[in-house]
Parts: sequence; structure tokens; C-alpha cells
Amino acid sequence: MGISSFGYLIKEGVKNVWNNRIMSIASICVLISCLVLTGSAVLLSMNVAKVVESVGDSNETTIYLKDNVSDVEAAYIGKDLQKLSNIATVEFYSKEEAFKEYESVLGDEIFANLQGDDNPLPDAYHISMVDLSEYEQTVAQITAIDGVDSVSNRSEIAKRLTSINNLVATVSLWVVLALTIISLFIISNTIRMTMYSRRFEISIMKSVGATNAFVRIPFIIEGMLMGLISAVISTVALYFLYNGIMGVITNIIPFTSIPIESVIVYAAVAFLVCGMFIGAVGGFISIRKYLKKEGNEILGW
Amino acid sequence: MIEFINVCKNYPSGTHALNNVSLTVDKGEFVFIVGASGAGKSTFLKLIMHEEEATSGEIIVNGKKLSRMKRRQIPYLRRHMGIVFQDFRLIDKMNVFDNVAFAMRAIGVNQSTIKKRVPYILKLVGLEGKAKSRPAELSGGEQQRVSLARALVNNPEIIIADEPTGNIDPEMSYEIIELLNEINRQGTTILVVTHEHDLVRHFHQRVIELDHGRVVGDSASNDDFDETELLIKHEDLLLEETLK
Repeated sequence: MGISSFGYLIKEGVKNVWNNRIMSIASICVLISCLVLTGSAVLLSMNVAKVVESVGDSNETTIYLKDNVSDVEAAYIGKDLQKLSNIATVEFYSKEEAFKEYESVLGDEIFANLQGDDNPLPDAYHISMVDLSEYEQTVAQITAIDGVDSVSNRSEIAKRLTSINNLVATVSLWVVLALTIISLFIISNTIRMTMYSRRFEISIMKSVGATNAFVRIPFIIEGMLMGLISAVISTVALYFLYNGIMGVITNIIPFTSIPIESVIVYAAVAFLVCGMFIGAVGGFISIRKYLKKEGNEILGW
Repeated sequence: MIEFINVCKNYPSGTHALNNVSLTVDKGEFVFIVGASGAGKSTFLKLIMHEEEATSGEIIVNGKKLSRMKRRQIPYLRRHMGIVFQDFRLIDKMNVFDNVAFAMRAIGVNQSTIKKRVPYILKLVGLEGKAKSRPAELSGGEQQRVSLARALVNNPEIIIADEPTGNIDPEMSYEIIELLNEINRQGTTILVVTHEHDLVRHFHQRVIELDHGRVVGDSASNDDFDETELLIKHEDLLLEETLK
């Protein structure tokens, strides 16, 4: 196919969108809604993941050591802890430090007779985990270490945060899937209408020996063009929508959301790829039936 | 150029459109195909264009057996043919130039060739001053000339005209067939399906008559073939059909 043919086919694709503009606008609007909703779902999921991560980081787990553990043994336990794969940070928290903290909160009098060897508090380690979903396995590994007395129970928080994260990810995935199917359906229907209005031309093209690929290309371009327009508008819409909504949410629940500037380029690229892909597939699906027909069948005679 | 060997065509509805048809059309021939409606004329053309496949028998076009042809090869077969329809099938929103150029664009011909070729063809069919006109601004005869120009523009070896004079007045009909005659003199094979008996009589070309899916008369294979008689019989058939 020569360059002039390709130019002609692109022009025909653009003409299709223009000649059938009411339906094209309707399709573009549906595709924009789908893309923006999909983008929002992904961003929501990313924000929840970020919140989970930050909560996970700030929720240190405390490991209490047995009373009879010496300083040297405690240091060995620290080394053992560092060897575990799911542990991100390990920090020693001596009984003296614990004592001082309690003292500052509860006052000097209560602790007057409990200093030095009489200190009833145990030595401890503060650790943070890499992946909270593996909380229970990690705790089992920790309690297996000699000299470890107990581990503060954070499993409920860990479980809840992980399940929220999983739920948001799953819902987002289904939303994306459902919207993709809806977009495909709407776009292929619009292109089918264009095709119906151009059935006369298709029948002439086939009678003079146009190949199926040649007949198909303008309709695929029509779909891709609708995808392209939708992607551009969706990117702009997502930018303003996200900033607006995050402004409201962070006022109610203070947390550092993902700045839109850091993700908008990726969103634009994803919208372009998805929009144009959905458009192309929509065009491809709708012309398939027509290409099998011959002569007057195309015209419905 | 075109060979039918014992060709039968049955439709799923049970209609036997062609029944054991065998005939040959040589390169450069001009053939009229006549017959009452339902005789199998349209099926005959559709089989040549490979819009339909024969139920049995073999069709050979340009040396190629159509039964062995793959789907993707069909467009290339059609590039050797130019089709002229009774209802012209022009695209209303395109002017005459673009209607003719459309047939070239559809097979990927480049723009510079189109710019040279289309005016030449329009001149050939006597429409050189009408390139910018829309089909609706033209008479029936002129519209059929555009349709003929579109069929000719890709330089086909065969022109297939399905009732080309069905929608135009008698005077114009003669001009159209004369134009086809002229094209035939330059070596293009012409197949014309028609009801216009006066035309057939006037041009003294080969006549194949179909009736109920069979070839019942062929002026090429029968020296005693009486064109006048054939056509009177044909007219009687038509009259009978009308009365029914």
C-alpha cells in the first residue's frame, strides 16, 4: 500500500467520524466516562495502597524478650531477627528506655522503688515488616527464636489493612473490565451505523476488487480516532477531577495523597493505548460481518 | 476467457438457478445474455464475479478455476472485471470525478495516476465537461456513462453489464451499447444482460438465451439461430409473466 493510499484511508476514517458525528460524540462521551472511571479506580487503589503502606510502616511490632536474657543474648536475638526476610527494620528498646518512658508518662513516685535490678519491664525490639499480609508467618518465625517471650498483637490491623487493599484492587479490576466491555460494545455499534450508511460504497469497493484489509482500514481508523479524542479529553478531565476530589478527601481524612503530576503522564499514555486499542477492536469486530457478504447482500437487497 | 463446464447452482431455498450450463466466451467477444426473469441471468453473472459459488461443475475465468480460488484471491479476480449496474450505483455525495476515481482508490492506485487516468476515461465516455457535477444533476444516460467510466477506469479485460439500459430512455440505450461496442473493438470482452430486444436485434452480436436455468439458445453454436424468432418467443414469455 502506497503513502497516498494510506493518506486516503486516514482521510476516509476522519470523514466517517465527522459524517456520523452525533453517534461519534455519544461514543466518545461513553468512552471518556469509561476511561475516567477506570483511571479514578486505579488512582483510588494506588492511594489506598499508599495509606496501607504508611500505616504499615508506622505500626511497629514490639517483641518482648524473656526476663533472664542477658545483653549478649539480646544482641544475638537482634541478629536473628535481621536475618528474617520479611523484616524491614530492627531497633533495640532496652528496659531502661521503657522505664524512662513510663516514668515520664505516669510520674516519678510510682517507680521510685523499681529502678535498676528491680525494673520489672522486659527488654524489647521494635521491628517493622516488609509485607503485612505475611504477618502471622513472620510472628511464628520470631516466637521460634530462643529468648523471645511474646510479640505484641497487631495481626488484626494487618489483616484489615491488607483486606481493604485487596478489595479495592479487586473492585478496580472488575470496574476496568466491565467498562472495557461497555466501551467496546458502544464503539462497535457506532461503527456499525457508519458502515450501514456506507454500505453502498462498501459494495462498490468489493465489486471493483478492493481487498478486505482495504475496506476495513477506514473503520478501524474511525475507532482509533474516537479512542484518541476520548483519551485526550479523559486526561484533562482526570487531572481536574482528581485534584478536586483529593482536596475534599484530604480535608476530611488527613493523609498525603499521590500527587496527580507524578502520574498524569502515565495515565495519558495508558488512556491513549487503551482508547485506541478499544476503538480499533470495536472497528474490527463490527466490519467482520459485512466483509463476509457479497454484492447485493451488503445492501440488504 | 470465460468457460462454464456443466455448472449447476442451487440455492438453499431450493431454487435451481442454473442447470448443467456449459458455454465458452472467448477473449474479445461481445455477448448478449437474454431470458425471462428467473431464467438464471443474474446467477450467471454472480458466478463469474465469484459472488456466488457453483454447486457443481467448474467455472474458469482468465484461466483460473474458481472452485479452487481462495477467499483472499477473489478481489484480484475482480480487478480484471468492470461491472455496470442497472441502477448505476453512483455515490450521490461524490462528484463524477470522485465516483470514477473511487474505483481506483479502492484498489490502492496512487493519486497522480488517478489524476491522469480519470479525465481520459471521462473523455472516452463523452463526459469531459461533467467532472465536477453530482450524479443527481445528470440524466439517466449520463449517469450510466459515469457507471461505465467507473467500470472501465481500472482497464479490465471483461465488462459485465447487468441491464445497463434498464433505467434509461431508448435513444440513450443505443448510445450506451454503441459505447460498449467501441470498447469491445479495442479488445475488451463484453457481457450484457438485457431485456431490450430491439437493441439485441440492432447490434448483431452473439446472443445466449437462458430459460429456467438452461441455455436454450446460443447464436454462436447454431447457424440456423433465428434471432427474431428467439426474441418473439422471449417477448411472449414476458407477456405471459405479466398476465400471470
